[in-house]
Amino acid sequence: MAAASASSFTSLKSRPAPGLATIAAVKSGAPLSFSFRRPVPAVSRLRISCAAKPETVEKVAKIVKKQLALPAETPVTGDSKFAALGADSLDTVEIVMGLEEEFHISVEEDSAQSIATVQDAADLIEELVQKK
Amino acid sequence: HRRLPAVIPTPPVSASPFPNPKSQYCCLSRNFSAALTPLLPVQLPSRMETHLWYVVPDEVKSAPLLSKYMELLPQSERDHVLGFRGDQLQKSALLARTLVRTTIARYQVDGHLDPRSLRFKRNIHGKPEVEWETKDGFCPPPLQFNISHTSSLVACGVTMNSLIGIDVEEKRRRTKNNILAFAKRYFTAHEVEHLNAIPDSELQQQEFIKLWTLKEAYVKALGKGFSSSPFNTFTIRVNTAAQQASSGIAVETLDSPQNLTNNWQFALLELMGSHYVAICLERQETGGAGKAFPIKLTARKTIPSVEDELVSGTNAVVTIGGSVTQF
Repeated sequence: MAAASASSFTSLKSRPAPGLATIAAVKSGAPLSFSFRRPVPAVSRLRISCAAKPETVEKVAKIVKKQLALPAETPVTGDSKFAALGADSLDTVEIVMGLEEEFHISVEEDSAQSIATVQDAADLIEELVQKK
Repeated sequence: HRRLPAVIPTPPVSASPFPNPKSQYCCLSRNFSAALTPLLPVQLPSRMETHLWYVVPDEVKSAPLLSKYMELLPQSERDHVLGFRGDQLQKSALLARTLVRTTIARYQVDGHLDPRSLRFKRNIHGKPEVEWETKDGFCPPPLQFNISHTSSLVACGVTMNSLIGIDVEEKRRRTKNNILAFAKRYFTAHEVEHLNAIPDSELQQQEFIKLWTLKEAYVKALGKGFSSSPFNTFTIRVNTAAQQASSGIAVETLDSPQNLTNNWQFALLELMGSHYVAICLERQETGGAGKAFPIKLTARKTIPSVEDELVSGTNAVVTIGGSVTQF
């Protein structure tokens, strides 16, 4: 697939939009899922758990970058959304599979549905690891 | 293939960058200094038809055109597009929203053509739907649509009445994990057997992608969310019977294995030799003995507001599974 030539497509980011919010900020309620990949029910987002350790977040970020073939220096934090990084549904399932292998856990399909960000994945991992 | 202009070029109003009248027309269809030219209407699909529209992002290079597309979107959708990391992802996200808005607008359902004025909502399970204005005497049409996109292809399927799910994927998409390990974890035993029986690894990879897109299309057609139909609860059966011109595809749910679910029809297409497109449709009517009519498909490649190209029946769209008649 040929890459779009840099000179002919200027980044849409150069068009400032008033009140532009990052997707990370849109956490309350379920964001409109345009590609209908993994709709996120609002209820499952209210998980009462402590935030995962930074090392876990780091490991998840590493697995995500590997799956999506992102350069190592790509900024991926807890707030990073899988979809925004370019993960489609196949990537997401592969990422979950990678997490299962890395952490020796088994992620139910239901739980996998509610993973939208790196933090979600890290929190779920620690929850599952603790239960073992 | 037949190339139809999607817009009737009109001369630019007021101050033109081209002082010579003759040269005003030389790059007319590419002069986007004015607003996007009006969309050409399209006839709604009949109850038995499926319309497939697609955009190839690499062919949409004009920055001004992409800016105009952004202007069609409400702020929330613009924010969503800009939330994607990188030009490529933003572009395909933008084209997906643009394609669905302009396509639905062109069907002129409520008498006017403004893609900006369309509103979308989600059903109870999260599937996007059009939110038609409730006007006196206006009965919303049973227009159904579904979108799918990768960075290299954006597609939208439209029907009247039939629930539809579509999924697109690059033919040469590779999984990072071993296919059989992946299939054992997420697919059904029959599907694992089907993949396992393929000795050539390249063909096995392609078959995997075909299965994946068919399964995605099914779940999207159901519209009840992925958690209601995990992939290991239903089997896609692909019959490669020698007597059939192209293979039949059917879905079988594990909780009623003897009952091949007859409600759903599938089509699997190879687009431009580079992509698989899976379409799943709710069966509307059957022929004798429960046999379904073939899917009547019209496929158009488009650059919204610029041009359409009817590609069904050409080698841009090859049926590789299911019973399909292309128009």
